[in-house]
Amino acid sequence: MGLTVEQEVVEQTPEMGKTLTKRDINRSFYRWYLDAEVPNCYERQQGVSFCYSMIPCLKKLYPEKEDLSRALTRHLNFFNSQGTWSTPIHGITLSMEEEMANEGAISDAAVTGIKTGLMGPLAGIGDTIDWGTLKTIIYGIAVTFGAAGNVLGAIIPFAFMLITFFIGKNLWGLGYKIGKESVKSILEAGWIKELISATSILGLFMMGALSASYVTLSTALQFQVAGTEIVLQDILNSIAPGLLPLAAVFGIYYILKNKTQKYGRISLGIVIVCILGALIGIF
Amino acid sequence: MVFGLALLAGLWWWIGQSKMGYTFHAVICQPIVMALPFGIVAGDIGTAMQIGASVEMVYLGMVAAGANIPADECLAGCISIPIALTTGMDPATAVTLAVPFGLLGVFQDQIRRTLQAAFAHKADQYAAEGNTKGIDRCATVYPLALGFVLRFPIVFAAIYLGSDVVQKILDVIPEWLTHGLAVTGATLPALGFAITIFIIGKNIYLPFFILGFFAVQYLGISTMAAAIFGTCMALLITFLRRENASA
Repeated sequence: MGLTVEQEVVEQTPEMGKTLTKRDINRSFYRWYLDAEVPNCYERQQGVSFCYSMIPCLKKLYPEKEDLSRALTRHLNFFNSQGTWSTPIHGITLSMEEEMANEGAISDAAVTGIKTGLMGPLAGIGDTIDWGTLKTIIYGIAVTFGAAGNVLGAIIPFAFMLITFFIGKNLWGLGYKIGKESVKSILEAGWIKELISATSILGLFMMGALSASYVTLSTALQFQVAGTEIVLQDILNSIAPGLLPLAAVFGIYYILKNKTQKYGRISLGIVIVCILGALIGIF
Repeated sequence: MVFGLALLAGLWWWIGQSKMGYTFHAVICQPIVMALPFGIVAGDIGTAMQIGASVEMVYLGMVAAGANIPADECLAGCISIPIALTTGMDPATAVTLAVPFGLLGVFQDQIRRTLQAAFAHKADQYAAEGNTKGIDRCATVYPLALGFVLRFPIVFAAIYLGSDVVQKILDVIPEWLTHGLAVTGATLPALGFAITIFIIGKNIYLPFFILGFFAVQYLGISTMAAAIFGTCMALLITFLRRENASA
């Protein structure tokens, strides 16, 4: 670490007066990781925390109060993405700010454009990989330990924290290093497409496995046909086990895709259907 | 013990949903994680872990896409685990207690994110003055202070005063309703998994969902086994595709 700082100092040329060190870059990431969702509000989402993460670097780059004030205002704008996979954006922003502070060739609009242009696609990647797949698998394994009363259930989820922290920190540095071309190159690189398709496969397979383990729905309906008792659930089981849970998952998926994505309304609907169903004896 | 649990629950919800540490908060907000400290205070770690695991199942597949949380699993856990521990409730009933609070937590988050616009406006003002210390406060201290006021008292009171009330309610609710709530608790995880399928959004891969589902239904494999087989399958498909592309 000390060596890198020295190297950076040596590399400084007289006209490149203001250079960010590795320490500045890391510090900026730690501030982001700590604060990303803390001051979240509807109006700006992660805007305030984005600005908060930039502060140590901006202070160094813009010793003049007027420039600093402009830079701070620029980064208080609306920003919203997934916290660990969006970090190349922050890295790029830092490299652009550095260029702007030294040469002034980059405009406010260019920085804002990069931020708003990339936050959507990267959020999509992050939601699929981190929240959709990684989180669910790790917590799913933790639940099997917890259900047996095992303390490991409370420890295992921290693996998710460590992995995502590592990803975020490295992508942040990567973004800074290769500058504003980086995310374009990341998005176009073959490996990211492979990663998304592989995690989608794994994710969907795991959603299926977890649905089978944790969604338990069965019907209590019985009929009298010509004197013999017919239990509906037995008939369903003889076709294939778990048809009702499967129907529940796909039914809700259909609603999400075609009707509404208002989670609160959907969960209330589930509560009402289940309780009414229990009352009239379907479940 | 009730006092200790109430105190811990109030602080936990405050710290957890203040969202310090992007994925750190996501982890400590999980019912299965908070079950350990609750279990330590209540002196029954095993039971606490089982309750935590049951509540966790409901929220396993939930994805907060675009920061819109479908349910607040942190509040659900902070209410249901301590109350279940003090009243000796079984895990299945604890789940049904958790669900309504999980939904209430969403409203609380909406209030928080509406009010916090004030801090953003304050930050604008500090930015105009070039006052970085002021922005620091808008990003950290103010949201944390607001969060304490919004979160700690409600949960503290709910656990401290609520255990008796919950016990009384549990004694009088009819059998069909407890059954209905149990059915609800067992069906709600479906919402989480459906959300995840929706987020992943690759319809051509849906057969993998069916494969995973019936691997468990017919073969009864564990979650760990599913993760191992699933990873191998995903890697194989990726590598074979790469081989085909280069051939």
